[in-house]
Amino acid sequence: MSKESRMRATVNQKLTEMGERERLKELLRAKLTECGWKDQMKAHCKEVIKDKGLEHVTVEDLLVEITPKGRALVPDSVKKELLHRIRAFLAQHAT
Amino acid sequence: MKMEDMPLSGPDNTRLEALVHDIYSELVEDACLGLCFEVHRAVKQGCFFLDETDQESMKEFEIVDQPGVDIFGQVYNQWKNKECECPNCKRLIAASRFAPHLEKCLGMGRNSSRIANRRLASNNNMSKSESDQEDNDDLNDNDWSYGAEKKAKKRKSDKNQNSPRRSKSLKHKNGELGSSVGSEPYKYNYNPGISYETLGPDEVRSLLTTQCGVISEHTKKMCTRPSLPDGDPVGESNIFDIPDGQTLMGRLQWEDSPDISPTDSASSKASTNHSDSRRPKKKKTPSLGLNSGGGGGGGGGGGGSLSGGSSSSQSNISLPTKKKRPKLSAPSITSIYDDLN
Repeated sequence: MSKESRMRATVNQKLTEMGERERLKELLRAKLTECGWKDQMKAHCKEVIKDKGLEHVTVEDLLVEITPKGRALVPDSVKKELLHRIRAFLAQHAT
Repeated sequence: MKMEDMPLSGPDNTRLEALVHDIYSELVEDACLGLCFEVHRAVKQGCFFLDETDQESMKEFEIVDQPGVDIFGQVYNQWKNKECECPNCKRLIAASRFAPHLEKCLGMGRNSSRIANRRLASNNNMSKSESDQEDNDDLNDNDWSYGAEKKAKKRKSDKNQNSPRRSKSLKHKNGELGSSVGSEPYKYNYNPGISYETLGPDEVRSLLTTQCGVISEHTKKMCTRPSLPDGDPVGESNIFDIPDGQTLMGRLQWEDSPDISPTDSASSKASTNHSDSRRPKKKKTPSLGLNSGGGGGGGGGGGGSLSGGSSSSQSNISLPTKKKRPKLSAPSITSIYDDLN
């Protein structure tokens, strides 16, 4: 599968080099804030912090708690749009 | 392998889709990580829980979501129907009309000062007109005040004293009197004191056979448009400067033109014979620097056409279109200039 991994590496490289990765990141962040995902996640964080205690909470703690819920809470529309854009990029620039 | 065409073969497509999803997951995790950093930083800096206070205040300022009431729990048009007492006039005014009422009542604000000024102005006019109208019965017929009328009339008359329109109309009139062709600029820079009484009959005749000779009412100048017996273009330089008789003698250039107006027929026919002998020089800049009086004198001296006098007088009134342009001899011109001077 080295061919595939090579291909993946190439794609990732292209994505970063052409600035598409950054653009996609910004797009996702904006959409998530817009749809209220960020506020939901923040509320969840509050609970986690209250559980763990304000003083001793670490980034890893938060991350572990947040990421699965975050992935699940992304609205379908946002997900679809992002997938569409990634596919379009690959179709256009991958060889 | 090409990825432009979407319906790919099975394994390639799934691999591609997997790749796409992987990329998507990376992006989402990146977003989550960013959020965690943000929250953690806020917690450690102590600004994460700032929007939360004690329970009592929280309850007090909770968002209200009832109909007929805003989110603060206040009713929208609660104060609409209330009445307030004006401190100035002690009346009860509706709340929505209170501010404008105060403006007028206290005499402050833009509108009230404007109204007051207008009232003062009209009062002044009224008093003024009344006093005048007692003296001038005629002006009682006017609908508006005499003062304003005088002002307006005065302004109007002042306006048009030196407007270009005025002088333009004068010039235009002069031009029309001189020629109905009207395309050339005829300039009348000679002395305005010309009158036919000062010239002898010969001079008048010769003058009028060569030029138009009409004296303008406005400028009292005689039109010096030359007559055109030979059909030469009338657009010659017909500039009449009269600085000095001597210089003018050298500059006199008249042309014969064939076209003769009906009124001038008798005189011009007579003078044509004489004018034909002299060939005209065209297109010289100071070609006709002459009084019509001087020119006529020159033509008369050369041709001696006395018959032209009577018909020429008619020409003054009738505005002939084309005239002969006789040549002028030098010595006769000076004599006429002496008359003028």
